[in-house]
Amino acid sequence: MEKFKDIIRQYPFLGFIIAFFILMAIPSIFFTDLYQSHLSSLIFINIIVAAGLNIVKGYCGQVTVGHVGLYAVGSYTAGCMFMYLGASLWITLPVAILVTGLFGVAFAIPSFRLEGPYLALATLGGGEAIRLFIENGEFFGSTYGISSISQPELFGITFDTPDKYYYISMPVMLIAIYFSFSVLRSSIGRAFMAVREDPISAAASGINVKKHKMLAFILSAMFAGAAGAVYAHLPPGYIHPNNYTVIEMVTFLAMVVFGGLGHIWGGIIGAVIITIVYDLTRPLYEYQLFIFGLTIVLTILFMPKGIGGFIDKYFIDRRFKKKQAVADK
Amino acid sequence: MLLKTKKLMKAFGGLKAINKVDFELPKNEIRGIIGPNGSGKSTFFNLVSGVYDPDPGSYIEFDGHDITEEPPHKVGELGLARTFQLLRLYQDMSVINNVMSGYHTLVPYRFIDAVVGRKKIWDQEKVIKEEMMDLLSFVGLADYAEMNASELSGGQRRLLVLARAIAGKPKLLMLDEPAAGLSPVNVDNLMKILMRLKEKYGLTLIIIEHILKVVMDTCSKVTVLDHGEKIAEGTPSQIKDDNAVIEAYLGKKMDDEEMRKALAV
Ligand SMILES: Nc1ncnc2c1ncn2[C@@H]1O[C@H](COP(=O)(O)OP(=O)(O)O)[C@@H](O)[C@H]1O
Ligand SMILES: [Mg+2]
Repeated sequence: MEKFKDIIRQYPFLGFIIAFFILMAIPSIFFTDLYQSHLSSLIFINIIVAAGLNIVKGYCGQVTVGHVGLYAVGSYTAGCMFMYLGASLWITLPVAILVTGLFGVAFAIPSFRLEGPYLALATLGGGEAIRLFIENGEFFGSTYGISSISQPELFGITFDTPDKYYYISMPVMLIAIYFSFSVLRSSIGRAFMAVREDPISAAASGINVKKHKMLAFILSAMFAGAAGAVYAHLPPGYIHPNNYTVIEMVTFLAMVVFGGLGHIWGGIIGAVIITIVYDLTRPLYEYQLFIFGLTIVLTILFMPKGIGGFIDKYFIDRRFKKKQAVADK
Repeated sequence: MLLKTKKLMKAFGGLKAINKVDFELPKNEIRGIIGPNGSGKSTFFNLVSGVYDPDPGSYIEFDGHDITEEPPHKVGELGLARTFQLLRLYQDMSVINNVMSGYHTLVPYRFIDAVVGRKKIWDQEKVIKEEMMDLLSFVGLADYAEMNASELSGGQRRLLVLARAIAGKPKLLMLDEPAAGLSPVNVDNLMKILMRLKEKYGLTLIIIEHILKVVMDTCSKVTVLDHGEKIAEGTPSQIKDDNAVIEAYLGKKMDDEEMRKALAV
């Protein structure tokens, strides 16, 4: 077991290949209807968003409440490219990632001067501005949205039903998590945390604070862009400005807060749980903002480290016990 | 000269926190900076390390580079490390991560390699971690490596900021009251470790310290600030007998005997 762990640590890629095969098998073993596949895709999409949000908020400590706007940019880049150019996901996905990354730059600039609630307000304004711009733009389909966005094809298969689309959203999610792990576990992730904890000491250690804030915003925007594009092509391929409101933003925030800010696995678990709850409470649409707002508040009050805090505590306790056992001998 | 300032100036409103300070520090020296509260010692550090912008007419040179206008991270990159009076630990990070982030400028791999997650990154990270664990052992914190920095005691925190500052292998290390608030035993321990680190890494040091005994014992030369001005500079024994220093430092409330006692080595 120890040896296996060491190998995974050395070649993190292997862990993802194993996860890929497990997730490949899950639908045929457990799923009984199309809706479960659809919900799984939504979960994967939200995991991608949460992984990105965790970079900028959890690791780099920048309070952004405009992320849903970036997600919208990803979706609408894909949607418009399909509508005007007939482009498929294979083209719209990379383009959406790049375009959203550029928008990330715009979101990073206020973070150079603003902190905490002021930065939250600035980014909230940015996110809402994007939604309103889309809602009022003929070009973007305004309040009609964009519909019948195509599903991708590969090896002669068209992934046009939820059960098939699962095999698109799942690998994209795994690749996204892989990248977030790679970045966050390197010196860049450490620099992000240092910027979060104390930008003045970070700078004294030679860490370029502005550069790392910029990087965190761009990276997290790229994740949101990827998620947005995968969402746009999700069968039946329909996007509407109403899918990018403050409610969705609060849901995203609830995922990372409940999962545990600055904790990669926690964020993923948070995304799974919150997506399912979001889906179950869909009939209670008018209470969702309240439900997820309350989730955030209660989490911050009663378990500020979220689920990730428990995971860490478990592992640290175990390691400690092991050490003690060795010491006792 | 490793560090040189000319006519260094900084005013906050009407208050001249640092006033035309000329300062020179050769390699390998241990310099003490003393002065009453509010005399501008921390401000001097903040100016040199780029946290504050100096007023026009000032000049700062470090290791042959004009750093007058450089931002703090550039100064850090050039090999000038510092600690803060209020520590500024990364509270919610593990002890080992605190130290490893001090190594930032020396990390050998490129951004793109990290994003792609190439195997060599993890090999290099392992090497860095081992090296930083050695440093933690050196200051006696190896057993706490995985703990959150916020769980450390006061004395341990002071050792940790020291280790973090040294992690980047600086040419010059500036310490702002490194022993403040420590018990005499802990002060001795800290200074012993500091001297061993100086030997091991060939450091040049500037130490701001309130505990005069520390300064008098360890520094080869002492600079005295008062109201933002340099009022004296010399060996500890010269400083001890300098009338201007005695007056600035202790006012006139004490008699001769008390002054000598307060400054006694
Ligand atoms: N950021 C600042 N804004 C305004 N005044 C400051 C600032 N930093 C320091 N000062 C003032 O400059 C003077 C010198 O402070 P400081 O350098 O911290 O003194 P010391 O470290 O010698 O105790 C003090 O009067 C202090 O109030
Ligand atoms: Mg001070």
